[in-house]
Amino acid sequence: MAQSAQSVKKRKIKGDGVWGYAFIAVALIVYAMFTAYPVFSAFIISFQEYKPLGSTYIGFDNYTATFKDDLFWKSIKNTIVYTVLTVPVALLLSFLVAIMILPLRKKLQTVFKAVYYLPVVASGVALSLVWLWIFDPMPGGIFNQFIGWFGAHNQNWLGSSATAMFSLVIMAWLSSHGASIIIYLAALLGIDDSYYEAADLDGASFLQKLWHIVIPSLKPTTLFLLVTAIIGSFQVFQNAYLMTGGGPDHATTMVGLLIFDNAFKYFEFGKAAAQSLILALIIALVSLFQFKFLGKDVDY
Amino acid sequence: MMNKGKALSLMLAATLSVSALTACGGNKNDNGASSPAASGSAAASGSASSGAKDTITALLPPVSPTYQDNFDQMEKDFNAKYPNLTLKIEPASWEDMTQKLDTQVNAGSPPDIAFIGSDGISKYVQQGMALDLTDAVTPEMTGDYDAVPLEYMKNGSGLYGFPAYMEVHALGGNKQFLEEAGIDWKKVQKDGWTYDEFRDAIKKGVVKNGNTTSRYGFVFATAGVASKDYLGIMAKSAGMPASFNKDLKYALTSKNYLELLTDLRQMIDDGSMPKELSSVDAGKRWNMFLTGQTMITGKGLATFENSAKKNNAKIDANDGSAVKDSIKVDYIVLPVPTFAGAAPVSSTVVDGYVAFRGKKEPTAEHKANIAKAAYFLSSGQVAATTNNDLFAAHITKSGRDAAASMKIDRNPDNVAAVETMLSHAAPARPDIPADLGAKAIKIENEVIVPKMQALLAGEIKPQDMYDAVKKAAIDAFGQDGIVQD
Repeated sequence: MAQSAQSVKKRKIKGDGVWGYAFIAVALIVYAMFTAYPVFSAFIISFQEYKPLGSTYIGFDNYTATFKDDLFWKSIKNTIVYTVLTVPVALLLSFLVAIMILPLRKKLQTVFKAVYYLPVVASGVALSLVWLWIFDPMPGGIFNQFIGWFGAHNQNWLGSSATAMFSLVIMAWLSSHGASIIIYLAALLGIDDSYYEAADLDGASFLQKLWHIVIPSLKPTTLFLLVTAIIGSFQVFQNAYLMTGGGPDHATTMVGLLIFDNAFKYFEFGKAAAQSLILALIIALVSLFQFKFLGKDVDY
Repeated sequence: MMNKGKALSLMLAATLSVSALTACGGNKNDNGASSPAASGSAAASGSASSGAKDTITALLPPVSPTYQDNFDQMEKDFNAKYPNLTLKIEPASWEDMTQKLDTQVNAGSPPDIAFIGSDGISKYVQQGMALDLTDAVTPEMTGDYDAVPLEYMKNGSGLYGFPAYMEVHALGGNKQFLEEAGIDWKKVQKDGWTYDEFRDAIKKGVVKNGNTTSRYGFVFATAGVASKDYLGIMAKSAGMPASFNKDLKYALTSKNYLELLTDLRQMIDDGSMPKELSSVDAGKRWNMFLTGQTMITGKGLATFENSAKKNNAKIDANDGSAVKDSIKVDYIVLPVPTFAGAAPVSSTVVDGYVAFRGKKEPTAEHKANIAKAAYFLSSGQVAATTNNDLFAAHITKSGRDAAASMKIDRNPDNVAAVETMLSHAAPARPDIPADLGAKAIKIENEVIVPKMQALLAGEIKPQDMYDAVKKAAIDAFGQDGIVQD
């Protein structure tokens, strides 16, 4: 009996099993080449002073230099501030937009989904140019004209420490929610109608249905979006690089930008690799915290 | 089961975050087989005779408006001159030139030649990736260049390429506005001006409508790619022609530096420059100049005269592609003022064709071929055409000869003004060791530029910035490694 079971298993590996491995091989090889190997390589480089013609092993020097670097901690602080200000609002906006799109006819839903998704596929550089135009510091700038209607003086949006971070936050609030909206919408459509019917029979209001049916049902989706949004926010680079360059006076230097500068401005790849591994550890800890405290009753 | 899934997802999240940020390391064990430099070396090493076939690769940005259109012709002409050699040009945009080159360099497979600023040579020398051509160039080649720009291509005793042009960083004025403000611009072109004279002049250029300034006296680009320009250019004429003095002590801790910072802030406080200056980038200030929102702009390059003339022609032709709301501008080249009683020293930009090596040491013959290609690109007909396109001064005898028959529509006063400024150009400093240079660049990026943004935005005082720079300099070079006057 045992022998026949083993032969069946062997046949499966030789037959369907082989094809299964063959199909995932492409993804696995791509993952190994472009994700696993660079990570492993970064780990090695983080203990080296990297030089194209031959690196030298320097132990934990890159890590100790990073921990002693005031700019690194400032960039971590900036990144946390940016994350705290952007992620919750972005999730709330995505949720509200998805709720507003939900009752529409399917064709209209598709139109709105496409409209909200467009910034995701648009070039980040092109979007930044538009935002630079919006944040023009002179009186003719769009935001300055807007606040001028309320009697406020024009602001040096990206050039002042008081407003530079807030400007990047506004930019995050008002763009690129497309993916979250679509995921929320799919989750909303997945809620069984019988819950709403039962609530209607009980005379529940819209807000009661939202609180007692929608929000609990969307908890796994919200947790997923929260974790991925925080990971993305910790890695934010493009906006700071293109809009402020990290200034003024490092007010918008995010850790991703600092890592880029160390790698590509100063060719300190070892230090950059060490900093990216520290960042990865921070992200992993934050994600673990989220799963532990927010994901107790979430099942995927 | 659940825990395993979570652990896996955590691991993937962490992995993705690292990989997104560390796709920068090269492969130490890469044998560089696909490297253009390596392939060139291999080609050269494959034969010993001087007529052996070889390919030289070059990564070139759009140096002038028509430069990249001529690549095919340049390749053909080079091949006609050296039938055994092939010049293979890879075009790059200005935006991704540095990143493209740096990626190739750090992967150990750079092109043989790349067009970069001479100030970038030291970092590649420090990496060991810049190729010293000293023993590969001939006296005929080096003798063709003006001495000053050629020095810029040196680091220590090594010669790492050939210069394409030497342009002076000047200011640009609107002739009509200058004359309305009573500024004798011809005298300024000839004799220069001090900070106090300049300050008075730009005050006269300000036009106000009630509380709103409709025209500033002076607008300099300080944001984005221009973030280092303002202070760097002005410091030259404030007694600090380089980051290090002749004794290799860090110079930006001198008292002149504090006075310079005070003066730069003062021009904003006077209302002669916009209080939003820290956000004005190169495009914005040029737009302000062409639309009559400033009398003087900076930095100014000779080619801006050409740009202004082209826009004037579009306005005359009622062409819709003229800059919106622009006015006709007669562009006048003006020198940078002098600060703290220092002598005028012009900031210059020397860009050129820098040679690189791959992981394998190139053969002597391949090096000689690289020198031939760099010389071909930076002299004679190619240099004449490119520099005329840029309104840049010719720096080779062969370039001047080739340009003699080419006509160029340039204001002779501007030509003379540029010549005057070039006569006191900041000398090259190949004596500054690469490691000192790298530290100075890091102070510039991490302290000077951010603090300067804050100073221009009115968030810190000149003394605060000076103290921050001095502290960073002491940390980097020690008390004895800096100027303390």
